[in-house]
Amino acid sequence: MMGLLSILRKLRQSPEKELRLLLLGLDNAGKTTILKIMASEDVTHVTPTAGFNIKSVVSDGFKLNVWDIGGQRKIRPYWKNYFENTDVLIYVVDSSDKKRLEETGIELFELLGDNKLEDVPLLVYANKQDLPSSLTSAEISEALGLHSIKDRVWQIQACTAINGEGIKEGMEWACKSIKKK
Amino acid sequence: MSEDSVKRAEDILKGFQVNWICLRDADGGKIFWQGSDDISYPDIEHEAHVPKNILQCRAVSREFSFSSKEQIEKFRLEQKVLFKGRCLEEWYFEFGFVMPESTNTWQSIMEAAPESQMMPASVLNGNLVIETKFYNDDLLISTSKVRLFYV
Repeated sequence: MMGLLSILRKLRQSPEKELRLLLLGLDNAGKTTILKIMASEDVTHVTPTAGFNIKSVVSDGFKLNVWDIGGQRKIRPYWKNYFENTDVLIYVVDSSDKKRLEETGIELFELLGDNKLEDVPLLVYANKQDLPSSLTSAEISEALGLHSIKDRVWQIQACTAINGEGIKEGMEWACKSIKKK
Repeated sequence: MSEDSVKRAEDILKGFQVNWICLRDADGGKIFWQGSDDISYPDIEHEAHVPKNILQCRAVSREFSFSSKEQIEKFRLEQKVLFKGRCLEEWYFEFGFVMPESTNTWQSIMEAAPESQMMPASVLNGNLVIETKFYNDDLLISTSKVRLFYV
């Protein structure tokens, strides 16, 4: 597994001294599990987030802050309080939750329409690929209409957060997109 | 301060609680110490007995869980590592907005000093305190102190 310190090491060429990654998505999408996997922690007892979880890493004067904000409907109106200074938006989708695909798409495009997230690179994790009922990342991309996004760089990455598959590949893209800015 | 803001400050203080503190090996995520008894009582110094080999970890993390009944607009913290009262290391972190009725965590991960610069466990033992102060802007909400013992 990569670990947050090694992600931070990759980002050292970035002109900014402090970087902020923001994890959003509907409840039960797997945001907290992804955050914990990034820090090589046990993910067997993850509970719904009623607020935020933050991991701050510092190395050689560089700081990386990863923010995971709870996705329950009643707290989504607070998301906008956390947009400012975001360097990469990471949007997590439960690929097996077909019933809420439309809802997750609406929430995503609302985020993309916000001024504070203008030009911010978007990484979509199509999570829970281990479940037999899951849609592939291509199907998620199609269903959400990601190809209509023209105002920023974006990437979709298939992943299975509980065993870490695909997380590293997504983070590598995120690191590259920061350097290009 | 106006009467309103005094009342608001009191409400924030009353509704704020530190749930637990946890020290980990940041490499494998292994927990060295977790404190949750009486952690919400301010002004009590907590004692963390951690294995000596925590000093050999390449990176360690400290994590806090806290809850707030009230919405807080300008939440921030100052964390200091004190050796015999002298500050060795400081962290400042601006959270900004805290949701009402929320439970949140913050984890800071740092690389250890090179072994050559590391003080031995026998010197550090009982002399190191992690002091964390939580604020809303300039209002001090809570202070947490953990004294470290290397066993």
